[in-house]
Amino acid sequence: MRLAKTSGIAARLLSVFITLFGISVFIFIVLRVIPGDTITGSLGIETGVLTPEQIDDLKRYYGIDKPLLLQYFSWITSFLSGDLGFAYSTGVSVLTLTASSLPVTIELALFGTISGVIMGIAIGMFSAKKPGSARDFFGQLFGLLALAIPGFVLSTAIVTIMANKFGYFPNGYEYMTPWEDLWMNLQQMLFPSIVLGIAVAAPVMRTTRSALLETVDKDFIRTAFGKGLKNRTVQFRHVLRNSLIPIVTMTGIQFGYLLGGAVIVEKIFALPGMGRQILDAINKREYATVQSSVMIFAILFVTINLVTDIIYRRIDPRIK
Amino acid sequence: MISKKRFLVGGVALALIAGTLVSTPAKAASSELVIGSVLDIDKLDPHTSTNFATVRALGLVYSSLVEVGPGNKLKTGLASSWSFNAAGTQLRLVLREGVKFHDGSTFDAADAKASLERILDTKTGAAGRANLLTITSIVASGRTLTLNLSVPNVPILAALDGVNMAMLSSDDITAGKVGGSNKPNGTGPYKYVSWEPTQSVKFVSNTGYWMGAPKITNLTIRVIPNESSILSAMNAGTIQFGIVTDPLIAKQISTKSLKLFKVPALAYYALQLNTKVAPFNDKNVRLAIQCSIDRPEMIKTAMLGEGAVSGPITSPAYKSDPNARPCPKVDIAKAKEYLAAAGKSSGVTFKALVTSNGWATSVAMAQNLKAQLARAGITMDLDIVDQATYVPRWLGADFVATLANNGGRIDPDTMYTRYFTSTGNLNKVATYSSATLDANFLKGKSSGKTAIRTSAYTAISKELEDNAVWVWLATPYEYRVATKELKGFVALATGSLLPLRSASLG
Repeated sequence: MRLAKTSGIAARLLSVFITLFGISVFIFIVLRVIPGDTITGSLGIETGVLTPEQIDDLKRYYGIDKPLLLQYFSWITSFLSGDLGFAYSTGVSVLTLTASSLPVTIELALFGTISGVIMGIAIGMFSAKKPGSARDFFGQLFGLLALAIPGFVLSTAIVTIMANKFGYFPNGYEYMTPWEDLWMNLQQMLFPSIVLGIAVAAPVMRTTRSALLETVDKDFIRTAFGKGLKNRTVQFRHVLRNSLIPIVTMTGIQFGYLLGGAVIVEKIFALPGMGRQILDAINKREYATVQSSVMIFAILFVTINLVTDIIYRRIDPRIK
Repeated sequence: MISKKRFLVGGVALALIAGTLVSTPAKAASSELVIGSVLDIDKLDPHTSTNFATVRALGLVYSSLVEVGPGNKLKTGLASSWSFNAAGTQLRLVLREGVKFHDGSTFDAADAKASLERILDTKTGAAGRANLLTITSIVASGRTLTLNLSVPNVPILAALDGVNMAMLSSDDITAGKVGGSNKPNGTGPYKYVSWEPTQSVKFVSNTGYWMGAPKITNLTIRVIPNESSILSAMNAGTIQFGIVTDPLIAKQISTKSLKLFKVPALAYYALQLNTKVAPFNDKNVRLAIQCSIDRPEMIKTAMLGEGAVSGPITSPAYKSDPNARPCPKVDIAKAKEYLAAAGKSSGVTFKALVTSNGWATSVAMAQNLKAQLARAGITMDLDIVDQATYVPRWLGADFVATLANNGGRIDPDTMYTRYFTSTGNLNKVATYSSATLDANFLKGKSSGKTAIRTSAYTAISKELEDNAVWVWLATPYEYRVATKELKGFVALATGSLLPLRSASLG
């Protein structure tokens, strides 16, 4: 029994390493296949004024003069030893850059997920209580609108209305970490979190609704009512708890997507997060920054999936 | 009936939201100006910087020997006067007295010599090196700097303007303390304080500045990577100055609460045609394109009316006359005649390389041109790519046609020599050169007399337009937005922030 469990974990870990290795090769190749390099990315059309000797010097400086295989192994071994490379356009190491941008994105994704889960479960329960009723219609309409309205439209609308009508745009001030100024940080995170939360709420709401409707017809729910338990007790303790597996799955996936999908929101709300870091680096063809940042995202994504699996086992002891 | 617990939780939540909405942090002190910019700087070495944001920011810290002032006139900078010898082969500059670097050391001709030599050194990778290649020797003596030139080169004076020609301390150069993580040490109106990548760059006024200490004591350039958010931040009063390039955003600026500065840029938009490949190796096909385009319509629709029809030369003193070109107005009949002359009566089809994010109106302009050309039976397919993909293809002339946004200069020589002389380093991209163009560029370069230079650049402009080498379209505007409290600021076509040295708040 224990052997089976251990080999299951080992297989899972092996698949994690294969996935991460695949991602590292994929991102490395994709960056080299698309036209342009760090030189044209940083100098633009002014590259044309450089002599061939200057271009060779710059290639050596950026380390892109070496064979591709050597470049890959040089990067991946450095990455594994904690050296994420150097971000030429900012003059600091990718590690330093990531140390300041990753917490911003994690905080944003966390707030977005929390607000999204609260909204999604509440509206899903509200909707599932009387299927086919007006409240169900409005609940589902919310889900549809939240899915249909793009984040950049919602972000721009919020920023424009709040700034023009109420003279309020805390993101115009310098970004503050929670340690520097908690109150300002919460203000700067409020609207971006709501925008991301709405995007998370829609699938969570739909999943919650269908899971609740499926559970509510089960025999044990009838038994619970038959025992004379209060409606609220049955709803929360029995129906919701037994519907949590798909909701947790959906939340885990959404949190992973939020890490990478916060790019536009970070841009509009001027938050110095990982999304912006990667986008800027792609535009400048800064290989080390893109590769290392993507790998960090991938590691986080895989970790979240593992954590989700562990949570399953806590929620439903039947899952081995 | 609402329970006490619910009431309490609801009350706390409401208070949090209300508190967030009403509690706005203190606005910047009156002597502090916060500038919103989409782009972050990318380095601290003025000689190698090409990024607009870096050039703008370091322009506050470093000074050059000459400057471009309002009206695009060349004026004194760290050089208080200058003169050429009769042959135009020697430039003698007298440097300003009492100028100090931010570290307190005195600026003199030895610093100027070391700075220019650093630019000329290939190891530096300086962006402005090509403009100084005619210098054979530099002599520094006290406050006098003499540049000896291999050929007559009057436009070299204009080439000495700007951040890429910044004057550095010779001690810093010798010690290798320029760029990298070294603190910039210039002679400009503002001292560098700090740079937090992707967030902001901070400056403090230089009290020892030779023109007097700037009234705005603290300057911050804050990265807000979206122009719409810059405008929102200005409306909310969280920043006081904004750098805007998108005409759509400029159109939304309310002049009731904000000031909009708008000046025609020196940059220009052109449909570059590759004259080395079919179908544009035939002059008649190129002229057919020239005659099919309705520039005012493109400006009105794709550029939202924010631009002016332009010829090749945008340098104010030698500006091309757009009415002097073949087909100054759209002429479809003439276009069809040219196509017939090329044996292409049934029309031509070609692909145009377009950048999706090079500038705000790029795709709209390309789509507009595509629709216009269709009227003459010309099919322009769009090959839309991101800027980082566009640049290497543009540099390698890997296009049949391309919509380009090229920088302008106040002197036509520095603007076009690199493109249209047979030895120019961007001639491969221009795809055209001729003996007459070479001769006229040399004539313009060699003379200090305005009449001679005007005649040379008029001839250059005429040859480029008559052969429809490229199809020059329009010039955009440079926009700056500021709070009403900002006084004494003058916007420059170069986009420089240097006029902030004379500005004040309130």
